[in-house]
Formats: sequence, structure tokens, C-alpha cells
Amino acid sequence: MKKDKRFFGKTLMIFMIAFFYLPIVFMIIFSFNSSKSLTTFTGFSMQWYERMLSNSSMMESLYTTIFVALIATAISTLIGTISAIGLSKSKRVVHDVVMQINDFPIMNPEIVTAIGLMLLFITLKIERGLMTMLLAHIAFCIPYVILSVMPKIRSLDPNLADAAMDLGATPWQALTKVIVPQIMSGIFSGALIAFTMSFDDFIISYFVTGSGIKNLSIMVYTMSKRVNPSINAISTLVVVVITVTLLIVNLIPIIKEKSGLHKEEITPKKKGKFVLGGLVIAMVLSVFVLNRPATKGKYEGQTLHIYNWGEYTGENIIAEFEKETGAKVIMDLFDSNEQMYIKVANGESYDILIPSDYMIERLIQEDLLQKLDKSKITCLDLINDDVKGLPYDPNNDYSVPYFWGTVGIIYDKTKVSQEDLENEGYNIFKNQKYKGDIYLYDSERDSFMMALKALGYSMNTNDEKELKEAYDWLIDCVQTMNTEIVTDEIIDNMVQGRKAFGLIYSGDATYVMSENENMGFFMPESGTNLWSDGMVIPRNAKNVELAHEFINFASSFDGAYDNSSFVGYTSSNIEVMDELSITDFAGIDAYTPRSHNVNDEVFNYDEQTRKIISSYWSKVKIAASNAH
Amino acid sequence: MLLLPMLLIAVYSVVNTGNSIVSFTLTLDHFRKFFTDPDFLLILWRSIVIAVKTTVICILLGYPTAYFISKCKEKIGNILILAITLPTWINMLVRTYAWIGILSSGGIVYTILKFLGFGDVELLYTEGAVLLGMVYNFIPFMILQINTSLSKMDKSLLEASADLGANKFLTFWKVTFPLSLPGVISGISLVFLPAVSSFFIPKLLGGGQYFLIGNMIENQFITVGEWNFGSAISMIMAMIMMLSMYAVRKIEERNTGKRKEKRK
Repeated sequence: MKKDKRFFGKTLMIFMIAFFYLPIVFMIIFSFNSSKSLTTFTGFSMQWYERMLSNSSMMESLYTTIFVALIATAISTLIGTISAIGLSKSKRVVHDVVMQINDFPIMNPEIVTAIGLMLLFITLKIERGLMTMLLAHIAFCIPYVILSVMPKIRSLDPNLADAAMDLGATPWQALTKVIVPQIMSGIFSGALIAFTMSFDDFIISYFVTGSGIKNLSIMVYTMSKRVNPSINAISTLVVVVITVTLLIVNLIPIIKEKSGLHKEEITPKKKGKFVLGGLVIAMVLSVFVLNRPATKGKYEGQTLHIYNWGEYTGENIIAEFEKETGAKVIMDLFDSNEQMYIKVANGESYDILIPSDYMIERLIQEDLLQKLDKSKITCLDLINDDVKGLPYDPNNDYSVPYFWGTVGIIYDKTKVSQEDLENEGYNIFKNQKYKGDIYLYDSERDSFMMALKALGYSMNTNDEKELKEAYDWLIDCVQTMNTEIVTDEIIDNMVQGRKAFGLIYSGDATYVMSENENMGFFMPESGTNLWSDGMVIPRNAKNVELAHEFINFASSFDGAYDNSSFVGYTSSNIEVMDELSITDFAGIDAYTPRSHNVNDEVFNYDEQTRKIISSYWSKVKIAASNAH
Repeated sequence: MLLLPMLLIAVYSVVNTGNSIVSFTLTLDHFRKFFTDPDFLLILWRSIVIAVKTTVICILLGYPTAYFISKCKEKIGNILILAITLPTWINMLVRTYAWIGILSSGGIVYTILKFLGFGDVELLYTEGAVLLGMVYNFIPFMILQINTSLSKMDKSLLEASADLGANKFLTFWKVTFPLSLPGVISGISLVFLPAVSSFFIPKLLGGGQYFLIGNMIENQFITVGEWNFGSAISMIMAMIMMLSMYAVRKIEERNTGKRKEKRK
């Protein structure tokens, strides 16, 4: 009987350990993979580590994460423990009320705490950056410390302190010599949770950060849209550092014990010190790694803040630009125009934004952009006439096009018949033959474009009846077709041929087709969205001069070539487009946007329509979710 | 610092504004909008159900694990605790991200299942995957909390219980379990609450169409830009959470109260 129990326990333990470590082992193995695949190991390679080391923002994010976690843990553990002890001594009413307040941040979705803190910082007009991130982390760690110290204190004999003082201890001694050692394991586990929480935190950091300060989570989140094994590499590095630190912490006492020099029990407190010490060493090391030789140039010491789409720049362009100008580039990434707008409208300062057409129109309307200094813009002649002088910015006073393209259907030629596509256009998204085998793209504009075009309307309609019809079209689609609504995941999924077809941007289609030759790109006759993303300078930019410099650099042949060949989106530089359409992307029709289809349109901005589409689309997504 | 953000959200949830606080009118429309729409309510319900499932699984797996650890020799116990905490130090997003590779078709679990004759099983982008991701991410908190309260338990109580004629099961049920309850309770708070509100686990493992209440709030704030409605949803959720935790706490208090009486 007893043996049975041990056996059960051991099996469970082994199972749990395997469960905990499977993803980590997996991650480490694939950080050495020679290809991008996450499912098949194709050979050993160190390339992802090289990429990681050469990526300064990745290393910096690691440093930020450790720095914030250490400081936040130290301060929140101190405050949390003191409050917990204080609370246990205070009146029941006070205790209960404070505990309820303490629970607010824990009981709330993290995202709500995040928004709350963001609103707070905005209201108090504190510029968001490292400081706000630190404050936020301290704030959300304290409740966890209190929560884990509290049960310890509650299980203490309340007479303990009195006993100590009866025996002649001062209140301070009673606290430090009697109470604290008794609750040390609670404090330690509180500190551990605080550290873990802070180290891991994504949502709160994401909302309260600014000025390009990123922690590891934000970094990973912005990079994880496309398979990027550098993430595995940097995670492996973290694993190694933490494992080594913890091993040292645990081995030292064992060695000491064996050699008989010291026979001291490792108290959790000591352990905590060791952990902290180790992490400080790790931090110093990472600073050392970061200390790359400074580059010399005209703009040395200056910083350019760019706010761009994820996976939207070439491999070398940023490094080249830094080399040429001596300036430092910090790039933040967004995954929708709306997300970008909210940050910018709330006063976040950037030097360059790269939004889409209708959003540029909105930013101009709301006076959030400044006019370009045409005397400093030397690149306009290089830009394709097809993307110049579009209605949202007729004279290119505010914007220089970056990428452009269309929206169409990416489809697996082995699964989808050409005939269906041609006969049905966008209505193929409601063909029961393909039920459960399609992707929608999580963009309110382009989903409504698809529905409106399928119904034969203009995608710029502001007729509420037509919009409602489009809404019904989409609702019908998600309820009968078992759709999956994705964003950039569609890229990898289509490369691997997971589904028959989906709505996609032409640039992503180019990439997919260059990776998987079974894929085709189709633009229905009923029309599509001729979109373009342009570089603009917001009104509150801090480094206008350098921003102009960057616009020229990114539009030049070399810069644009690097961008376009790496990402797959169509370059606005006409020479680059012509060159790539006969070299890298030869035979891939998605790369060259079609022109002269009368049904194709460019989006314009209308606040009223945006609101309608926005709330309709969130309802479509919810309906899709509930249809499963 | 703790209260102010909540107050701001509370204010936001009952007013009608753009994104500024300057001009506003008082309204309860946002709450009405939520409660009159069956789709929203369904999502709320689903989020709670999946969080309850996560919590139950975490207790069922976590309690025996913590119990086993507390029975080990101290040195081994420490190592095991370390083994459990170590993964939590690695970024949650990264670990969740790794599951995508494991679960996706062509991945290791998929291959094993296929080899065992289960055929083509869709693992990724299912509710099961979301559940797995949640249990994986949150169970260490449960184990640590339970273990903390088990390990600080006075071992002589067990002997006393045995001396008084209780068998092992009775000792566990009447002595060990009640004493470890505070740990279980704080474990539940640390698992249930983040599980209800988590939004990137469903996003990564459930696919883009798997919506929980957290995703809905995120959506309102980030893409729709209706902060007032988003705040209202948050308030509703905060209320539900607070009530449920209050209930749990009351139950716990009653239990400890009973025990104290018995001791007398």
C-alpha cells in the first residue's frame, strides 16, 4: 500500500516535470534549427543566435526586463510585507477594506489594470517610458506579495510578538527577530511571485510603456506574428542564465556542507540574496554585451523613434541607417492602424509613423501630422506615379509612400478550383464546399471591403443600409462557414497549406507564394482595395530633421530594395519594383499590383462610417467565436 | 496607486465621451448594451466556465504534486520546488508560443497521436489547446501556494492524530487538508483570476476566432476605440470576480471558525 502511494507520487511528479519542460526543451532544440520551421528539425545552425546578438533592440529588451523586474520585486516586497504586517495589527474593518482594495488589481483582468494605469498616467500627464513601467510593475506586484505573506501571518500565533516583548525585546526586535523569520517563507514566495509576474508581464507593460522602452514580452509579442526562431534563441539564453544562477545558488551550500567547513542551513532569505546576486551579475553581463562601439556620424547621439507595422522592414536597413547617420533607431511595432492611432492620439511621441491611406487622411484631418519640408525630401522622383498624389494626400504634402498593394484571395491550387474563384469572386467565402477550410483577415476595413464588393457596392459607401447588408453577409459567412479569423498567422499557415484559401494582403501573398509554389493569388473582378502605407511625421515629433533623412533613406534604391525583397510587399520605388518583379519575385503576380480595374478603389476616411464598421466588425468576430 | 486606476475605469464606464474626460454625460447605456446582447453574455459565460475548468484541473493535479513534495526530504523538496518555479521565470508568451509548434499538425504530439492510430486530430486552435495553455501557465502558482501551507504545517499534529487512532486517510481529511486550505484558497485566486481574464493564451492557442472576455475588452480598447464600453465590460467583470472571491473567502472563514471552536 505504502509503496503504491510512493509510486503514484513519483509518476505524477515525473509527468508534471515532463509537462513543464516539454515546451522549454522544444524551444531550445528549435533555437538551433537551420530552417524557420517550428515542426521539423532540418539541421544544426547558430544563425538565430547571430541574429539575436546583432539585434540591439532585442538585447536591450532583455536588459529592461531584468532591470524592471529586480527593482520592482525589491520595492514591492518591502512595501507589501510592511503593509501585510501592518494590516494584521490593524482593526478588522480597516483590514477588510484594505484587503478588498488590495484585491482590485488581482481581481481585475490584467488588461483592465493596464488600461486603468494608462489612463492614470495620461491624466497626470506623466510621460510614458521606463519610469511608468517601473511604477506600474511595483503597483501590480504589491498585492501578490501581500496575498502570499498574509496566510503566513494569519497562521502565526498573535501572542508571539507580545511574548517577545514580555521577554524584553523592543517592538523592532520583536518584528525582525521573531515575526519576520517566521513568515520568511511567505515573503520569499511573495518575492518570487512578484519577480515572476514582473519578468513575465506583457499586458500592463504594453500599455504603460512609451518612448520605445520594451521588455522581453513586448518584444516577443511584436515579433511572434511570423515564425522567428530568434525568439527561441533569446529565450534559451534566459533559460541558461537562470538555470546556471539557480544551480550555483543550490550547489554552493551542498559543497560547503560536504567539505564540512560550514554547516549552515540555507534559509530562504539567503537563497533570495543569492538569486538576486546572480541576476545582478547577469544584468551587468548583459550591459557589457550591449556596449557596442559607438558609431560616428552627423547625427551621433540622436534617436529616431519609428512606429511601424510588425515585420515591415528589411534585414539591414536599420543598421545601415544607423551606420550612415550615427543616430540610434528605436522602432515600435503595431498591428493595426487603429492601435497606432490610439497611441498617437494620446500624445505618444514618434518621429515617423507608417500608417495606411485612410489613416493618413484621418491624421491630417485631426491635425496630428506636420507638413513635410519638401526641400529636404529628395526622393519623390523615385516613387511610382501610381501611388503618388492619391486622394488622401493629393500633393504628397504629408506622406511619402512606403509599400503599396492590393487585397486578394490566397488559395491552394490543389484544393480550390479556378472556376469557382472566377465565377463567385468573394462569394466563394460562402461556398459550402470549403466549409471549415477558410481564413478571414482580422481587419475591419478589408473585411467590409470584401463584403461590400461581393454585394456590388462601393467600399467607400456611407449608406447605412448597404453597410448593414455587408454586416449580414459577414455574419452569414462566419455562422455557416466555420471560419477562422486571423491576422499575420495566415502567412505561416498558408505557407504550410493548412487551409484552402483566405483573404490576404498582396505583399503577404507574395511571401507565401515564394515559399510554397502551390499557392495562387486571385483578385476578384468586382474590385479590391488599392492600399498604400506612407511615411509621415507627426506634429509632436522630436527629431524632424532625422525623420526627413530616414524618409529619403528608406525610399532610395538600396533601402527600398532591402525592405521589399525581405518582406515581400511591393515597393513604392519604381525601379525596385521593376527589378524585383523579374528577379526575386518573378512569376509571382501578387507582387505587381493590378491597375486600371474600374472597380478598384482607395479607402477614404469618414468618422461616422468608421464607427459603424468598427462596432459591426467586433460583433462579427464575437459571432464567429460563438459559432464554434 | 491601486485604487485610482479602478476609479478612473468606473468613471469611464458610466459616461459618454470621446477619448477625453473634459466633456461628458452620465449614462448607463454601456451596461445596458452588454446585458441585452446574448452574444456578449455567452462569451462571459464561456470565460467563466473555462476558468473554472482550469482551476479544477490545477487543484486536481497541483494538490497531489504539492503533497508529494512536502513529503519528500527537505533537500529533494527544495530541488523539486526549484524545478517547478524555473519554467515560470521564462516568459509566458514564449512558453505559450512553444506550444504552437508542439500542437500544430506535423508537430510532435500530432505525430505521436497519429502513430497511435488516432488519425488526423486537430489540436491547435481548439478549446482543449486553450485549456492546456492555461493549466500550463497557471498551475505552478497553485503548487507553490499549497506547498507553502503544507510545509509550514506542524508535523507533530500528524503523530497526534495517529496516536488518537485516526488512520491515514482520516488524518489527511481531518488534519492536513483543512490546514492547507489557506494555500488552496490563495492558489485559486492566483489561477482563477488570470484565467478568466487572460487574452493572449486564447489568442495564440485558440486562434483568432476564439473569444474570451479578455479578448473582448482588449478589442474594445485597442481596435474599436470605445473606451467607455470597454470600461463597462471591465466593471461588470470586476464585480463578478469580487463577488465570487468574497464568497470563497466567506467559506474559508467559516471553516477556520469551526476549527477554532473545536479546538476550544
